[in-house]
Amino acid sequence: MLRLEDVHVRRGGTHALRGVSLEIEEGEIVALIGANGAGKTTTLATISGLLRPQSGRILFAPGRGEPERDLTKMRAEDIVAAGISHCPEGRQVFANLSVTENLRIGAYLRNDKAAIEKDVADIQAQFPILRSRAQLPGDRLSGGEQMMLVIGRALMSKPRLLLLDEPSLGLAPQLVEQIFDILAEIRRQGVTVLLVEQNASMALELGDRAYVLEAGSLVLHGSGRELAGNPDIQRAYLGGA
Amino acid sequence: MNGAYLLSQVANGLILGSMYALIAIGFSMIYGIVRLINFAHGDIFTIGAFATLASIAVIQAPFPVVLAIVLVVGAAVGLLIERAAFRPMRGAPQVTGFIASLAVSIIIENLAVLTVSAQPRTFAVPAYLNRLIPLGGLNVRMIDIAIVLLAIILMIALVLFVRFTKIGVAMRATAENYDVARLMGININRMIGIAFAIGSALAAVAGLMWGTKYGQISPLMGVLPGLKAFVAAVIGGVGSITGAVLGGYVLGMAEVLFVGLLPPEYSGYRNAFVFGALILVLLVMPNGILGRSTEQRA
Repeated sequence: MLRLEDVHVRRGGTHALRGVSLEIEEGEIVALIGANGAGKTTTLATISGLLRPQSGRILFAPGRGEPERDLTKMRAEDIVAAGISHCPEGRQVFANLSVTENLRIGAYLRNDKAAIEKDVADIQAQFPILRSRAQLPGDRLSGGEQMMLVIGRALMSKPRLLLLDEPSLGLAPQLVEQIFDILAEIRRQGVTVLLVEQNASMALELGDRAYVLEAGSLVLHGSGRELAGNPDIQRAYLGGA
Repeated sequence: MNGAYLLSQVANGLILGSMYALIAIGFSMIYGIVRLINFAHGDIFTIGAFATLASIAVIQAPFPVVLAIVLVVGAAVGLLIERAAFRPMRGAPQVTGFIASLAVSIIIENLAVLTVSAQPRTFAVPAYLNRLIPLGGLNVRMIDIAIVLLAIILMIALVLFVRFTKIGVAMRATAENYDVARLMGININRMIGIAFAIGSALAAVAGLMWGTKYGQISPLMGVLPGLKAFVAAVIGGVGSITGAVLGGYVLGMAEVLFVGLLPPEYSGYRNAFVFGALILVLLVMPNGILGRSTEQRA
């Protein structure tokens, strides 16, 4: 579904991605783990078109048998239209928009008004707090509620692939649990997920496969279970001895 | 001083404030979405006045048609300026945009002087616009009533547009965060273009009002009203449309009352008063009356 081939990105003076190649199959949850500054967020921003790579290709086909397109030649808004939704780091709800407007703006490229309203209602049914706070400015929600709002907003474009950046950041453990349940549900609905996480134990538990990013390069790759059992990973990312 | 005199001053303040508010909205919308103070905004006001002159004198268009022409000309000039002068500098430091807008302003003013000459021009407005209408003990000219009503209609339409339409919501999202807006699929250049088109169309209509009310226009007529509307936008809280409206009326009213209520020898200081008021307001409320902190979110 998505294939990065030797992607190099320079940001300011730093060589943030040094030849990243990875692959995601339809229906998978793939985790991308690594320390702060390893290039995880840069990877997502490059896929979604916010950053332009210096070299390399990013090939995306929304489903099996559909033609591949090179995302590095497309604008961010066209990448959304192609079926990729990027839920950025730090939640980033729109404070000037109400909770419901935040959801609706996620469907900006869609024109099926009735279906959009139905999807808003579905998301509100899944997260009732988004209904009871519907008219509040987006930033008046708590951190966990904002996370649900931005995941809902990202789903409103009906993506085939969801890029999710640090959904657990700054949330209480019990909320993190809930977010991961939501992810499992998203997968059940047929959306492929690329998950960037600092919370490596959760990411490895949930991810079918995982890549480990270090200083802009991928250093390890394997199934979630394999990596969770790898002593180096345990030492570096899982707080093991 | 009697009641009728005071009432007529208030009416004049309302009329002047309506025009300031229409210009100030453009300053505020454009600043809100691109963090640019567009110093060429007052010149679009001038262009609106000349478009009025041209459509009345050259093609003898009826007044509603004149209004439509001026709206379209203003929007088109705004789009053109954005495309030619500001879009190429997107991402450059803020000061680059200020200087570009000064350059645009100087180019428009000099082109205007070259093509239509610096000589003020008069034009005949339809007689019905000068008819006196008794209103609450005053005799008010039709044009004055039209100015206030038209301004209010345009402002309500704009507020409804920004509040309730899909494009309006997308513009608010863009004003808040370009990157996240792009992740929603919003073409931010398009939103910025729309903000320029709307803001410039409103400034052009203010030019139409000004020219029709005072019956005289010149290539540099936009300089002072432009600056004062900028003051109004800052007083109201730059970036906020309702703030710009409020600032426009507060400033228009204050300026007229300053001139009307103080002894005549002070009236020469009206501009000093306007800019003094700006400094005072900013000392007390650095973000203006309705402005939030102007810090840009990362």
